[in-house]
Amino acid sequence: MIRRETITEAMYNAIRLGATKMPPDIRKALQKALSEETDPMAVKHLEVSLRNADLSEKGNGLVCADTGFPMYFIHAGAAAQVEGGFGVLKSCAEEATARATEECFLRPTMVHPVTRKNPGNNVGPGMPKVEIFFDREGDGLEILAAPKGGGSEIFGTFYRMMFPADGEAGIKKFVIECIKDACYAGKVCPPAIIGVGIGGTADLCMSMAKKAALLRPVGVHHSDPEAARLEKELYEACRKLGIGPMGSRGINAVLAVNVDVAVTHTAALPVAVNAQCMVGRRWIARIDGKGNIDYTGEMR
Amino acid sequence: MEESIRNISLPMTKEVACGLKLGEMVTVSGLLFTGRSRFHIRAIENDLYPPIDYEKINCFFHVGPVMRQEADGEWKVVSCEPTSSIRFERYGADVVRKFHLHTLIGKTTMGPATAQALKEVGGVYLSKIGLSGNALKGQVKKVHEVHFLEELGKTECTWIYEVDHFGPFFVAMDAYGNNYFEDLAKEAQSRMPEIEKSLGIPPGYDYTEVNA
Repeated sequence: MIRRETITEAMYNAIRLGATKMPPDIRKALQKALSEETDPMAVKHLEVSLRNADLSEKGNGLVCADTGFPMYFIHAGAAAQVEGGFGVLKSCAEEATARATEECFLRPTMVHPVTRKNPGNNVGPGMPKVEIFFDREGDGLEILAAPKGGGSEIFGTFYRMMFPADGEAGIKKFVIECIKDACYAGKVCPPAIIGVGIGGTADLCMSMAKKAALLRPVGVHHSDPEAARLEKELYEACRKLGIGPMGSRGINAVLAVNVDVAVTHTAALPVAVNAQCMVGRRWIARIDGKGNIDYTGEMR
Repeated sequence: MEESIRNISLPMTKEVACGLKLGEMVTVSGLLFTGRSRFHIRAIENDLYPPIDYEKINCFFHVGPVMRQEADGEWKVVSCEPTSSIRFERYGADVVRKFHLHTLIGKTTMGPATAQALKEVGGVYLSKIGLSGNALKGQVKKVHEVHFLEELGKTECTWIYEVDHFGPFFVAMDAYGNNYFEDLAKEAQSRMPEIEKSLGIPPGYDYTEVNA
């Protein structure tokens, strides 16, 4: 039985670490990008950003001040038992988020969409976002906390319902145009990680795009060979745009293009794009059945 | 490297602004005020804005900082990352004219209406270099005042900072109506036909149209 307070503690630390540390795969990818860029402005954008992450890692601030949307993705083991039942995960996330905000690891950024009233703790209807997958063996929980910045979400979200006749050409045209627009003047903070959802319903399509952008290590391709082929072709095409870090002249508009697919209606071809910014913030807490917590930036 | 970057005293004069070139890196020193969407909307729609001397405090820093109040009541900057200025384009030109602003600092860029207003008053728009919120906070020497904290919260309210060698930033819009990103966007657009060809997209391809 995993205790409620253990889960809250794990969520709090995961989001705190997410806001203050750069995941190792992201750092490696940015260093590779830095080695490829030649334009002085492109180089400077990356050098400054990597130094900024170093400073926050040394306890001196945040990877980015826009800690954005607080999100928790939870993989539950088939035999996992939670004190009070799985329903408590939502309130654990609320408590963890409010505490991290109170302690200035998260900026109070969530407001009512119409009145713009700010509760000051990032908690309100729909937020923090909590999503649970019952897809693991064992009796533990894996909690991934992702504070997702506004730039990537606001300027990097696109959806189009196409039709079977629009074909693969339509998918590719839509994605490459979205990436070009999203990177203009550095809106999504490139080099971005681009998630692409193809198929499903409208909501599933966008959800796939978001998870492809957030929940996959950089450099790992989809197990579906068609999805993996699209990822490689689109990645190579992005490198020819002439767009580099923060919209400068360069090569690295993206660190990765991650595609996910779902079966869809025989009359439909929905495509969604969701971007993650260059710092790709996410950190993981793994809780075993006895309540021991491990924290890591390494994805499974 | 930073030593060779030109430092400009705030408030920036029209003459200094007119001498800055697109792409040039600069730092600034002096007083500035912060704000985001709510500042823009309220200043123009409701004529409601912080009662400060905009001739002296003339640099508008687009940011929602993370702020912490110390036990002694002093406010400290935890992190201050410039925010996307392009969001404010609806009100940008009016705000520049209303407060006669010679310096804007933010992320991304702004649009043609703001470019025209900057040209009229003799002002520049400075854009951030990389993610730099932690370096920038160390360059904020003092938090002088805060306005509308209760109403707008720590992110949207207006803070008055005294900064020293703040930056570096680069000139993304000059005082003559030019935008650093315009040429880049044209270059990217000009590459699209070749890129589409490499992806196997037929020339003149268009999505299926289902509306009249």
